Amino acid sequence: MWLIASLNFFIVQVLPGDPTRVLLPRGSSNVTQGGSDLRAQLIRQWGLDQPITTRYVVYFANLAQGNLGTTITYQKGGFPVAGVIAPRLSTTLVLVGLATAATMWLGIVLGRISGWRRGRRVDVAITMGTLVGYSMPSFWVSLMLIFALAYIVPIFPAYGVQSRDAATFDPLTRVLDQLYHYFLPVLTFVITNVAWFSLTLRNSLTDTLPEDYMLTAMAKGLTQKQQLRKHAMPNARLPVLTASALYFGWVVSGAIVIEEVFNIPGLGQLTWDATRVRDFPLLSGVFLVATLGVVVANAVADVLYLYLDPRVREA
Amino acid sequence: MPSRTSCTCTSIHASGRRETLATTIVSEASRRATALRDRATFDLMRFRKFLLLLLHDKLAAAGLVIIAAFIFISIAAPLLVGPYPTQFDRTKAMQPPSNAHPFGTDWQGFDVLKLVVYGGRVSILIGFISSIVAMLLGTSVGLVAGYYGRVTDQLLSRATDFFLVIPWLPFVLILVAILGSSLATIIFAIAIVSWPTTARIIRAQVLTVKERQFIERARAVGAGNGFILRKHILPNVMPLVWAEAVLTISSAVFTEAFLSFFGLGWRGPGAVESWGQIANEAYVNSALLRGLWLYFAPPGIFITLVVLGFAMLGYGLEEVLNPALKRRV
Repeated sequence: MWLIASLNFFIVQVLPGDPTRVLLPRGSSNVTQGGSDLRAQLIRQWGLDQPITTRYVVYFANLAQGNLGTTITYQKGGFPVAGVIAPRLSTTLVLVGLATAATMWLGIVLGRISGWRRGRRVDVAITMGTLVGYSMPSFWVSLMLIFALAYIVPIFPAYGVQSRDAATFDPLTRVLDQLYHYFLPVLTFVITNVAWFSLTLRNSLTDTLPEDYMLTAMAKGLTQKQQLRKHAMPNARLPVLTASALYFGWVVSGAIVIEEVFNIPGLGQLTWDATRVRDFPLLSGVFLVATLGVVVANAVADVLYLYLDPRVREA
Repeated sequence: MPSRTSCTCTSIHASGRRETLATTIVSEASRRATALRDRATFDLMRFRKFLLLLLHDKLAAAGLVIIAAFIFISIAAPLLVGPYPTQFDRTKAMQPPSNAHPFGTDWQGFDVLKLVVYGGRVSILIGFISSIVAMLLGTSVGLVAGYYGRVTDQLLSRATDFFLVIPWLPFVLILVAILGSSLATIIFAIAIVSWPTTARIIRAQVLTVKERQFIERARAVGAGNGFILRKHILPNVMPLVWAEAVLTISSAVFTEAFLSFFGLGWRGPGAVESWGQIANEAYVNSALLRGLWLYFAPPGIFITLVVLGFAMLGYGLEEVLNPALKRRV
């Protein structure tokens, strides 16, 4: 945690590049207030004239109070970063949760098939298909999906999280309406990320299937389904969970792109906006929150690992 | 190296007279030339065998073909489509595909086909250089962490894990947004997020290599840590570095595409648009909403193909160079 925050501080505060330049137009000394005065004022306001150690301490003191600084340009600036981020967090979490659940489910289904039928045509098709999906940039997939399924053949809504008249719907319809809107974003996510789960599961099944206990299971006369479910999967799914540590970093990246393209008001869209106007405090705040999210997700995965490992669970 | 020089010296000293010195030098030179030629023939044979193995692996062969095609297109761009467009012509902007412009024109009135062909130059070049930088960083960290162990390993491994899990896209975005979109900063930022996997893999390999007997022997005859690392451990992990380098090019091209799509691609005098930038401009100018899908689709397809090509070659290389890692397909 401390490391993340320090890195964050380092990036914004220590790297070369003058944040005041963003706010002040080039050669602004002719501006009525006097460019240099304005600049000096800004430098004082942001504490840029303080020595680096002082700034470091101040940064952490603010952080401890949940103060991430104020935005520079976003909505004309001056908003507390934490206040801008917080309301958008839940939207992102819904998207990421739905997308991860769908990706995991499909990945496990596909991985099980291709691991069980290793080397067959099904396996080759699944492996190649997921690899191709994994190699496609998500911004491209999402826009092409919108083009194909919302523009050429208008089946799905192109953007947003709910219909315009959603307020008049009863609760059930409203949830269905939202799910309907989330379909294309989630589909993009699944296409570009399903390889994480399907390929790791396939490889770990490949390691598991030649084991002696699998032969025993077959000799006992268990059906294929029983062999898989009771004997192969409990062992094979552990590496999948380990691989998810890297996957979480990609979730964030995927969410950023998808939210922007589908106009979903979450953290990702905020990142896009902050990048476009070079709002460093906002950008670094989003980065901090995203990194913390990844760390928390990894901690959860570790706990889940303990639970899913039969050797640990029995003990 | 030291042993060879000292050998020459003794023979010179022993012969004493001038002519003999000359003949010694000549014979030594010819001996070296023969050795060099033998070495070259051997290397060539090995390379051929290696290439055969690689081509035997369908995945790697397909990857190689894709990459070769794109590298050829990028290098031969001026011959294929003529010089890179520089003259703005807003009157010709956002045209639908026609005979003169098979993919239509972009918002500046440039031919999209031309842009896409030239775009490969930037995308692949940035991929290559970032990969080299990432390899230098990752290999050094992996070597040092694996070889010295203890606290050094602890510190470096923690750092590696840390860089491995942080979400790469916001990180790269922040770095480039702050440092500015020059070629050097883009490469630096991509390398910063690309090295950890290599460091991890190299470290694991070093751990097994350093326990082998010849390392102990080298130490027994007085070789220092630096010498052992350079002469004994590095050659043994080098094959892995090659495979990793190719895989890293793949991810670097991918990262660059995202960076460019967020409007942080290479800017400045003489800049050529990468595929990601073309996609970004198509998106910002809502090419798809105008039905100009041939403006938006090609850069994405090319990115996918190149990323896939390098990934396939990388996996194939890993298998050929390191049979221990062989994925049982």
